Amino acid sequence: MNKIFKKKLSLISFIFIPIIFLWHPNWLGFLGVQPYWPLFWLLPWSMINGSFNGLIFGLFLGLILDSLTLDDSFTQIPGLIFCGFLFGRIKLHSDILVGHFRYGLICSFGSFLCGTLYFLQILFRNFSDSNSLMFISSVKNILAEVFLTGFFAPFICSQLLRMFKFSRRKFY
Amino acid sequence: MLDIRRISNSRWWHKKKNWLLFAIFVFLVFVRISKGAIYKDFYYFISKPFWPGQFQKEILLESIDQEYLIKLNLLKKDNIRLRRILSLQESSNDNKISATVISRKAGSWWRQIILNKGSKDGVEIGNIVIGPGGLLGRVKNTSFFTSSVTLITAPESKIGVWVDRIQINGLLVGLGDDYPSLILYSKDADIKVGDFVSSSPASTLLPPNIPIGIVQSIDETLKTKKTAKISLLAKPHVIDWVQILKVDI
Repeated sequence: MNKIFKKKLSLISFIFIPIIFLWHPNWLGFLGVQPYWPLFWLLPWSMINGSFNGLIFGLFLGLILDSLTLDDSFTQIPGLIFCGFLFGRIKLHSDILVGHFRYGLICSFGSFLCGTLYFLQILFRNFSDSNSLMFISSVKNILAEVFLTGFFAPFICSQLLRMFKFSRRKFY
Repeated sequence: MLDIRRISNSRWWHKKKNWLLFAIFVFLVFVRISKGAIYKDFYYFISKPFWPGQFQKEILLESIDQEYLIKLNLLKKDNIRLRRILSLQESSNDNKISATVISRKAGSWWRQIILNKGSKDGVEIGNIVIGPGGLLGRVKNTSFFTSSVTLITAPESKIGVWVDRIQINGLLVGLGDDYPSLILYSKDADIKVGDFVSSSPASTLLPPNIPIGIVQSIDETLKTKKTAKISLLAKPHVIDWVQILKVDI
């Protein structure tokens, strides 16, 4: 049982992403916005398993998270697929400290990418209304999300990466 | 020498009694000038224990509450009777389900809450969710145990509302921030900051007269319509308990 648990640690942690996404802890937020949780899992997963795996699990994450939100018109799938693919191209850095900060920057960039793609969908959908107020709140959302994701990524991603590496080394 | 001392002792200003009388006189002059202010203030303190106390206040407040309750019930009955005459949509108090917020996304791209009552408890898609203050949103999706509610601040939320002071219908559109926008398709609408906005009696989605918010600012830059920012009465960021209203459409 313990062996299976260790072996499947990465997949078990995958289950917790939608739960944290739903939990939405307010005390972690900034301007009411939360960090973009799926990227924290997707980055170490893609770095270890490569672009193709990243792309596939980006799609899976997108499907799950879309099912939890009520917006039928907009989807998170393109952003997550793109991030999964991109993160797979990144190699591990030898310097641990540089690696830590790199996670923050990469996740910030990924969050900006996902946020922008989501915003473009909203903009495209509401093009006829051309409401500038919606534009302002969306930019605020993107910036707050980028900041928070970049801030938390070094702590969470490095831990997850260590966990994923550990589970692979032992049993594969 | 002794004689001189005797004479000086017999002066009126050497007698304490005279000074006392003078002091009383001055005091009474002061009381007269101040129209008895000191007396009144003194009376204030000595009569304080005998004032109509908390007990009487409670009785009066209870009576006022009962009076308002009776008036409210009479007005409700009148309202239902008139709505039946005009064949307008009715709202009923019998179909209310209390629920707890178990997940809240009120400040990001997604403006939704998830409640702990689902199809098992009779919640249906389209039901109205209200919290302390007024309208929060509509049930968009239900599972067996939970129901997901689109908040009126969400970009996809569009509901008909009523501005009572100027007796005009408008459209309340979520913008993805905390202040939805009220659109009035009439440039001449005399809307003012502080106007009260409730659900429209003409709406087919909502029961009438549910409080929604107050006009916070007005934008008159558009040529064909007026828009206003609405400050919501019910705050989705903090509300933990809500009621689901079942609406027969």
